[in-house]
Amino acid sequence: MTDLWKERLRRHQLNQFKYLRLIFNDNFVLAFIVLIGALGFWYSNFLDTISQVNVFGKPVVIILFWFIAQSGSVATLLEEPDSTFLLVKEKDFYDYFKAARNYSSMLPVVAVALVGFLMSPFAFKAAGLSVLSIIMLTIGVVIYKFAMLNFEIFGIYGKENFKGLSIKIWVNLALVVLLILSSYLSSFILIVVAAILLGYAVSRSQSICESGQLQWQSAIAKENQRMFRIKRFYNLFTDVPGVNSKIRRRKWLDFLFKGIKEEQGNTYLYLFARGFVRNNEYIGLFMRLTIIQAIMLCLIDNFYISLIVEMLFIYLVGFQLKPYFKETMQNLMQRIYPVKQSDKIKDFTKLSMFVLFVQWVVSAFAILYKFGFSVNGLIIVAAGLAVLVFVGYFYIPRQLKKIF
Amino acid sequence: MTLELKELTGGYGQVSVLKKETFTVEDGQVVGLIGLNGAGKSTTIKHIIGLLTPRGGQILIDGLSLQDNVEEYRKKIAYVPEMPILYSELTLKEHINLTIMAYGLDHDKTWEKAHELLKTFRLDNKLDWFPQNFSKGMKQKVMIVCAFMTDARLFIIDEPFTGLDPLAVNDLLNIVEEKKQKGCSILMSTHVLATVQDHADKFILLNHGQVRADGTLDELKEKFDMQNGNLDDIYIKMSNEDQ
Repeated sequence: MTDLWKERLRRHQLNQFKYLRLIFNDNFVLAFIVLIGALGFWYSNFLDTISQVNVFGKPVVIILFWFIAQSGSVATLLEEPDSTFLLVKEKDFYDYFKAARNYSSMLPVVAVALVGFLMSPFAFKAAGLSVLSIIMLTIGVVIYKFAMLNFEIFGIYGKENFKGLSIKIWVNLALVVLLILSSYLSSFILIVVAAILLGYAVSRSQSICESGQLQWQSAIAKENQRMFRIKRFYNLFTDVPGVNSKIRRRKWLDFLFKGIKEEQGNTYLYLFARGFVRNNEYIGLFMRLTIIQAIMLCLIDNFYISLIVEMLFIYLVGFQLKPYFKETMQNLMQRIYPVKQSDKIKDFTKLSMFVLFVQWVVSAFAILYKFGFSVNGLIIVAAGLAVLVFVGYFYIPRQLKKIF
Repeated sequence: MTLELKELTGGYGQVSVLKKETFTVEDGQVVGLIGLNGAGKSTTIKHIIGLLTPRGGQILIDGLSLQDNVEEYRKKIAYVPEMPILYSELTLKEHINLTIMAYGLDHDKTWEKAHELLKTFRLDNKLDWFPQNFSKGMKQKVMIVCAFMTDARLFIIDEPFTGLDPLAVNDLLNIVEEKKQKGCSILMSTHVLATVQDHADKFILLNHGQVRADGTLDELKEKFDMQNGNLDDIYIKMSNEDQ
């Protein structure tokens, strides 16, 4: 059984690396570094503004710890055919799940430790927690997370509820209470309770798993959902097969299409515009990047960083529009329309210019808010316009020609 | 409208599925394209509508090939695929608008035709639906409406009878008959031999990417020496020739 786990894990990791390699392409790494830099810059500025212990300090620490404790769940790597082919092996699956739990513990530990570390200056300054308390709290959350993962395994064996409520809810409620007690009274409370809970979970797990029955359907469904969430995340950056994005009607945005006359030359503009607005994937990407950019531009008052953010994000949105064209071109029916190839590219260029223009206008407002009508502000706005023209008129059409 | 295939050779990648396939579809003819799975029916259709490029031979519609004038050639054809292909982001109404735009049709006149067809297929109250809300049969009906409202002269229908309810099959056959009266030609591939036997003027029997035989039912009976047989019997006899 542990061999099966090892084999599954190997395959799973290969898959993940494949996607991660696609995500961490040059463009993304560049954007990522700038983003981290900008956030770090903002955070250190923000810390400087805190001069005394604040009433909101502790609640923020509690909320952040609670949220990070939700990250990560047991990756069972179960597959659909298992419920048919491995049904006879059911009793042996306990070892398999133990290996799964151990593997799944690594990521939450890193996440909790990182958040604890990054939060420490804030917790020290704003929440008035001592360094020792912060360390104790972080360790406490880590141990508590181990216990949570064990309870998740009980769930696979049908022990999901306790007194009518799901164990997950109990455990999360308890965590809120414990975090409040430990941050306001003594930071040892969480660590002690978490250790007791973990001891209980470990000692009970064997008997629960052996007396319980493996809930194949729900366990597989859960794993599928987990994989889907991961893939949907990857899908923001690259094409993931099998992830279909949601379509929404968004009737209130129909006014956007009013300017598109219904004539042969606009066939593809008609299609591209509606697809872009209604497909969550593309409008979502555009909204996210535009909003992040606007927020960053509102916060950063360094000329060079703002200049890079303005240019980079317009380029990124333009770059990310390319897959949309590719996806539409895969539709068989559009290939037999009596419409020229060049018209398709022309229409897509119109869409991308419009989208980038909207983004540019939004970012221009953010820049003018921060820099006013100064030379620096106007230089950044002009640089954004230059990137817009370059990406919209030269870069995208040339890239699209390669797709055919 | 006449469709001519002259010694068409082609297929996917390096493998030639079709080997010197030759047949014609005349003005106002309904032609059934018949063959086993993998005989080359869909491949033939993909070559005719221009999704695949022939490796040899010629395809002419009214003497015009795809290379001569892509837009003119494509305007002459309407295609209903075996698996419905719709735009997930467009409503039914917008699919019709898009088709009108793509083929450069007259908006009001075409909508009149479309309304009639939508009514026939009981889709006229679903104009604002998205494809994800349609069943497979409904999607197929949308494809049929979008194809038959155009001014095409050649209608190519891949497997029209599977997935449609009996009422819709009947409606489709009526529409085909109507188009035929107007001088259009229809080429349909199918496995439902009993239906096609009653409604097609001519049959093309494909085997291993070649035309094994073609002609009216009577001509086929003669060729296979089965005076009392129906299309089913002939088909089975052809399939057994390999063994």
